[in-house]
Amino acid sequence: MAVMTICTIVPPHILDEVAARTDDPALRDIARRTAVLSTAQRTERRITPAEPAGPLEDFVPDRTVKDAHNLEQLPGDTVRKEGGAETGDTMADQAYDWLGVAFDFFEAAYRRNSIDGAGLPMISTVHYGRDYDNAFWNGAQMVYGDGDGTLFTAFTGPLDVTGHELTHGLTQHTANLDYYGQSGALNESMSDVFGALIKQYHLGHTADQADWLIGAGLLAPGVNGVALRSMKEPGTAYDDPNLGKDPQPGHMNDYVETYRDNGGVHINSGIPNRAFHLAATAIGGRAWERAGQIWYDTLTGGGLSETIDFAAFAAATVETASRLYGATAAETGAVRTAWNGVGVST
Amino acid sequence: MKVTVVRSGGFAGIERRGEADTATDPVLGELVDRVDLGALRPPAPGADRFMYEIDVGGRTAVVDEAQLSGPLRQLVDRVLSAA
Repeated sequence: MAVMTICTIVPPHILDEVAARTDDPALRDIARRTAVLSTAQRTERRITPAEPAGPLEDFVPDRTVKDAHNLEQLPGDTVRKEGGAETGDTMADQAYDWLGVAFDFFEAAYRRNSIDGAGLPMISTVHYGRDYDNAFWNGAQMVYGDGDGTLFTAFTGPLDVTGHELTHGLTQHTANLDYYGQSGALNESMSDVFGALIKQYHLGHTADQADWLIGAGLLAPGVNGVALRSMKEPGTAYDDPNLGKDPQPGHMNDYVETYRDNGGVHINSGIPNRAFHLAATAIGGRAWERAGQIWYDTLTGGGLSETIDFAAFAAATVETASRLYGATAAETGAVRTAWNGVGVST
Repeated sequence: MKVTVVRSGGFAGIERRGEADTATDPVLGELVDRVDLGALRPPAPGADRFMYEIDVGGRTAVVDEAQLSGPLRQLVDRVLSAA
């Protein structure tokens, strides 16, 4: 029933249109090139808590978009480099713009300079494969398929897909969470969390305004679903004759034991995803500022085992929150309550 | 000989399954003769790659998409499209 309700409220084609209409990334580019930062952006940085004062310099992205010409071969031919003119290819230009938004997000929210924190060039290959229903991080770059057009639209479309793949790179360069079982599901969840936060930052949404969906706009018209995952209500994103039903659990009681999908990394990520949603909505305001800061500092702080499980990660987020805001702070309480709400004891 | 392929993972994490039999698909039979499940490329690094669970008459392998090439790739495509 929940699925039906969501589907009738927000049809995918409407979300698609919303994503397609915005021209904010282009404006951000212009702002960066002319080295003029708006007052709002400066304010955003100043209010970012608990990060040591960073250098005043503006970090500059280094983007390259390549075209695989519908072959499954990487990296493909370069079609646009940093500062280069638009290609006229919607997918290539969208990939370029979304990389810029993701880069700006990590700079503005956490004073991070690209994927590795040291200005790593960002490479995206578009038009990978034929009717290819996927996007991935191959350890060095992002890769996007065009989608088959019947079930999936192009994976370059939704901003959170780019944010998700870029965050896989960030995770690789920081906690390097092992891509199997619970640490793998945490790796997936980090990508969903920051993918969602990048979208919220771009749209200016607070935690209660955000849709908390991953991959909204990716399902082709006619498919019964709103997105691929729901961080708010895992298991409700789609229910379709061709795709099946969203298999994500939102509580440890429903944890899925499987060896497929690297031990269910795209399935059990629903549990930490929902924990983040609970923490962020309880804390309130812009989710990237406090909830996001707690998760970001935990992920990048250097204290995590590569094979960490949900419980140890949860404890680490509580520790981070205590350090940032105090052991008895509302933020710390919200994080603890959030994990308990998904059946993970802290 | 029965051949099954289950694709899992990918950004979407949506499973697809296919099954075919060499008794009714001679092309598949030729592919099976050319496939060596013991000689695969090493697994690829990264995230969100498709994972394939391949069962050829009881011999099984779990591989990621970067390990698929030549006749194994053709076998996987053929069995999944037979679904």
